[in-house]
Amino acid sequence: MDAEFTTGGLVFMLTSWAAIIGLCAFCFAKVFKKK
Amino acid sequence: MQNNRENWGSKIGVILAVAGSAVGLGNFLRFPVQAATNGGGAFIIPYLIAFLLLGIPLAWMEWTLGRYAGRQGYGTAPSTLHIIFGKKKRWAKHLGSIGLLPPIFIVFYYVFIQSWILAFAYYSLTGKLMEVTAQGSAAVTQFFGDFIMLKTCVGPIPVAILFFLITFACNMVVLAFGVRKGIERVNKICMPILLILGIILVVRVLTLPNIGKGLAFMWNPNFSELANPKVWMAAAGQVFFTMSLGMGIIWCYASYLKPKEDLVLSSLTASATNGFAEIIIGGTVVIPIAVIIAGANIEECAKLGTFGLGFQTMPYVFGTLPLGGVLQTVWFALLFFAGITSAISIIQPLISFCEDDLKFSRRKSVTTISTITFIGGLTAIFGLAAGTVDELDFWGGTFLLVVFGAIQALVFSFILGRQKVKTDDGSEDNEAFALMNEGSQLKLPRFFRPIIQYVCPAYLIILLVSFTLTDGLPLITLSNIPADAKVTFLGSEFSQLYFTWGFRGFLLLLVVLLNVAIAYAWRKGGTAERGRSSGIQKMPIGNSDETTTKEA
Repeated sequence: MDAEFTTGGLVFMLTSWAAIIGLCAFCFAKVFKKK
Repeated sequence: MQNNRENWGSKIGVILAVAGSAVGLGNFLRFPVQAATNGGGAFIIPYLIAFLLLGIPLAWMEWTLGRYAGRQGYGTAPSTLHIIFGKKKRWAKHLGSIGLLPPIFIVFYYVFIQSWILAFAYYSLTGKLMEVTAQGSAAVTQFFGDFIMLKTCVGPIPVAILFFLITFACNMVVLAFGVRKGIERVNKICMPILLILGIILVVRVLTLPNIGKGLAFMWNPNFSELANPKVWMAAAGQVFFTMSLGMGIIWCYASYLKPKEDLVLSSLTASATNGFAEIIIGGTVVIPIAVIIAGANIEECAKLGTFGLGFQTMPYVFGTLPLGGVLQTVWFALLFFAGITSAISIIQPLISFCEDDLKFSRRKSVTTISTITFIGGLTAIFGLAAGTVDELDFWGGTFLLVVFGAIQALVFSFILGRQKVKTDDGSEDNEAFALMNEGSQLKLPRFFRPIIQYVCPAYLIILLVSFTLTDGLPLITLSNIPADAKVTFLGSEFSQLYFTWGFRGFLLLLVVLLNVAIAYAWRKGGTAERGRSSGIQKMPIGNSDETTTKEA
């Protein structure tokens, strides 16, 4: 309950977010790209 | 290639429909509990590996099998396996019946749960839930318990049944409009709203004072947990269950793809959207806020389970914040949009079976499935306290998914994938990958082929065996139930063991009836049999014995 948010936790959270947002951006950019 | 089946109106339509099917309570409630109890931030390592080696490849396989089915004018596994294996293998269509069982079993209880969400969204909107919240967390628990146990009534009628009827009717109306005007339209409206509501909650949670302590529970990595095989199995299980794999839903949805429509990119985009809802929304909202507001520890959160967290902890937690009523409404609206897009996806394979195999009209199909699912739904409503929902969830929502997922992977890799065909550019490829890449805006990277053919099936078989031997065996044999345990069903008391075995007898009867329907649809000279012949003649690539004979 009293654990503080560590740098490791922040790194894991932000890296996961970056990975999934990057994948979404890549995919949707291709989906909406005009042929 | 031409048949009378509908097609999706747009690529974004099918992507949102598949993503809508996948995004559900599992993303917002199951994922955070799994992550927090299995290594925190470190859980993301086995999770992403399972996503790459199991989730994405199996989704691609299921989309491809769906495209194959759609080419023949079908949308479910019995007909597809019958065609893939050839007419001499009569058992193949009955093997395919395993692909229809998860939707049947899940829909029996899912609509009831969906109706709880609608009811709580209504109570949030009218301020009733805030009144309950003001009396403390125990009052919220009591309120939820009374509601689902049918103790809250309007006159003589339990409110839960009224909301069940409204929800049931909403689902069926959407499905009666068909794939393009019903399912696609609803997903195009609901999915963007769902994601916006999710982002609103994420922003609100991240701006709470002391949120770091909550995020610590969710994200601080505990690397020692990575040495525990159970953590890897939990990650694989979470990926499998969250992506709607093994349910026959993607198979059915992909069967409505237009000819030459991209598949690889659409599947990846739907998977990525589901991942967004899971990692960013699911990973930020529930556990951190439950920890810092309710003071719950992670063991308590895990013990509460999906429903306890979603319907007791979260309304209470949001209710204690400024604008609590608004946040409660946003939370249940989020769950409602996730629920309706998932519910219609679960029912559509059953409608497809009636339309395509039994050759019913859409109206007759919707009426037939409405009748069956309504009767099945009653077993969930009145048998909730007796454990019918747990039983349906174990078979339909857990065990059979992994079984059918393994069947799909093996059929794709070793049956469909063993034939060579000519592709559009004149080169030779195996039929499975040729189908997958047809019309692709994004070609399947070559390094994924061995992953799809060998790693993913092996991963699934390991998952199936380890699940069966650990968590599955006590549930299958009912050794987890004490001999003297009692349950109450419709006012009478029964031995829990006898009641559960009796309910399994009812489920077995459904399996038999389904297989009778399959045999009827595919009897010699029947409508499905005739439909199959015309489908194959028009098929550009294929490996069934009938195709070979005709071409020869």
